[in-house]
Amino acid sequence: MVNVKNPSSEDSSVKKYKFKNLAITLLPIVALAILFAIFCVVVTVNDYNLELYLTNVINRGTVLVLVATGAIFIYTLGSFDISLGASTLLCATVGVLTYNSTQNVFLTIFVMLAVGVGCSLLSSVLASVFRIPVFVTTVAMMSVLSAIASQLIISNGSGNGLSLPKTVFGSLDSPWIKIIFIAVWILICLFIFNFTKIGRREKFLGANPFCAKLTGISMYKYAVIAFVMAGIGVSLGAIFTLSYSPTVNTGTASSIGMDILVAIVFGGMPISGGPRSKIYASLIGGFSYVLLNLSLNIILRMIGVDSQGSQGITQIISALFFLGVVYLASMNYRVKNLPR
Amino acid sequence: MKQLLTKQKAKEIGIRSAGTLAIPIVFAVVLLIACAVGGKTMISGVSGFSNFLIYAGIITITTFALSINLGSGRFDFSLGSMAVLSTLISIRITSSMPVASSTAIINLLLCLMVGAILGAVSGSLYVLLKIPPIITSLGVTLIFEGITYSIASGKYINGGEAMAIYNFMNNNWWFALIIIAVVLAVMIFVFDHTKFGRNYTALKEGQKVSVNTGIKEIPNAIVCYVICGTLMGVVGFLSVARSGGLDGRSLSFGSIGIMFNAFLPMFIGGFIGRFSNDKVGYLLAGLSMSMLNSTFAAYINEVTTSTQSIINAVLLVVFLIYLSNEQTCKDLVTGKLFKKWYIAIKTKVADRKARKGA
Repeated sequence: MVNVKNPSSEDSSVKKYKFKNLAITLLPIVALAILFAIFCVVVTVNDYNLELYLTNVINRGTVLVLVATGAIFIYTLGSFDISLGASTLLCATVGVLTYNSTQNVFLTIFVMLAVGVGCSLLSSVLASVFRIPVFVTTVAMMSVLSAIASQLIISNGSGNGLSLPKTVFGSLDSPWIKIIFIAVWILICLFIFNFTKIGRREKFLGANPFCAKLTGISMYKYAVIAFVMAGIGVSLGAIFTLSYSPTVNTGTASSIGMDILVAIVFGGMPISGGPRSKIYASLIGGFSYVLLNLSLNIILRMIGVDSQGSQGITQIISALFFLGVVYLASMNYRVKNLPR
Repeated sequence: MKQLLTKQKAKEIGIRSAGTLAIPIVFAVVLLIACAVGGKTMISGVSGFSNFLIYAGIITITTFALSINLGSGRFDFSLGSMAVLSTLISIRITSSMPVASSTAIINLLLCLMVGAILGAVSGSLYVLLKIPPIITSLGVTLIFEGITYSIASGKYINGGEAMAIYNFMNNNWWFALIIIAVVLAVMIFVFDHTKFGRNYTALKEGQKVSVNTGIKEIPNAIVCYVICGTLMGVVGFLSVARSGGLDGRSLSFGSIGIMFNAFLPMFIGGFIGRFSNDKVGYLLAGLSMSMLNSTFAAYINEVTTSTQSIINAVLLVVFLIYLSNEQTCKDLVTGKLFKKWYIAIKTKVADRKARKGA
């Protein structure tokens, strides 16, 4: 007896699968749109200045999105770097010191780029040449970079930290300029990621490093490229950190390294990298995270929770929302055993 | 023949003992010399010794907790937040009790219980959601930090019960020793001498094969998380005993720094474990790190916190470079590496000459 499948039922199951896949792909975008709508409603209902609040969203999101977009190249390889926050801090610190001693903006930008890329390259060299696990390398780098930055701030700054004249990067502190910079940086990364062999090979390396190696793709070369892209993102992030907050202290950009992880996952990219990696995940995830936190803060204040208490509750609710989004987004990729 | 066997056994024991004790002894000798050069004392008085033991306990137990899930490919960022939240809850529960030694012990028991519950929550979320553990742990960390911040009203908690724990532990140094010994014994028993431990090892080495042979992965994973939570409860208790307070201000992953201190001892412990038992290795590594910390404390005016962080990170990198390139390092010491290079260069030169001749 030959078992013949009904073609119409097969078609419908394929359609169902495709629809589910499309829904999961669109989920982060829909979530961002809903969060944006909620944010606008909440701000308007409270008679707050919407323009001011949107500027706040862009201010908070810009640094996260710039750094996270560069970091996606690392995450695509299946690696991850938690030292990016410390790199941003060191970059900003060295930038302030350079400007204060030379008064030269171009030299300051150049030095910041060099420090950002240099820190990233050091991590990649340690990981590739000495074959140290990338994550542990970045843990060590995080300690070293934040310690160096702290030392520089303590020895060269006042009690509040190191300051730069507001006029130096003040011209960048405009929402439209930030939006343009984000757009340009994302387009550059999008081009490299989607239309060059760098992106394709990185996805291949992330999906199956062994197979990629056998086909002649050099993990070392693409790890270096990924870390350089992340370094540029870090430098841009540091410049925009200084544009709206010209004083650097030891707490500057401290949570960026971990926020990137949350933002990328929020944006619909798997943490394991590979072919499902997307450059725009940082944009969607970064702004979703910022909008969610700000909306929750306002809602909690609306219902009478004081600002001290609202911070903790905001974090709890945004964490639950984060887990919920990831759970829904990963519905199509379930495996029998527990994931690792 | 029997004599030869005895000789071989003696040699093996010698190698194992030397391998096990080499790193702690090198640490002790180098640090004692460093202290002697500066005219300092590494451990001065009973309070210094008590602090040494408490810090060794914190590092050793955090390393145990970190290694349980990390060894199975489950990265857990929530360890630090579990330590802080479990201690905070136990301090809040006992806040109406009088400040006395008995309350400190009650606090320890509560820390263990609350830690176990938090671990169970974390493990259950991982098992129910079936999303990568690193992502679950990110969410769990944020939740636990948020709860801590809300309970503590974003403040540093000191005095009261925290002071009771601090006083009790600093007046009774032997209690830290008992805690370390009990935790070590329990860890060795649970992971090396029970069915759960054997299943854990099997799942660690080959998840798919183990599940196919009938090992139940879900209960095993939840128990691992419960053990981690319990251990982090002890770490939270010891941290309060060390500083006399508890930081309830950590938000946005501010608590994850606690586990980063355990990376170096985990790798050192793993190396020592090759010669004896990995848990004993973690303990010896924890003691070594505590010696380093005591030396830093002796040089408090000369060595800043930033310098200490850099030294720790450099040690981690150097040790990992050695671990990842062990054979190359051995060849470098024995001179074999130069021989290899010499042969490689010689072959290349000969090849070129042959090509030119052709």
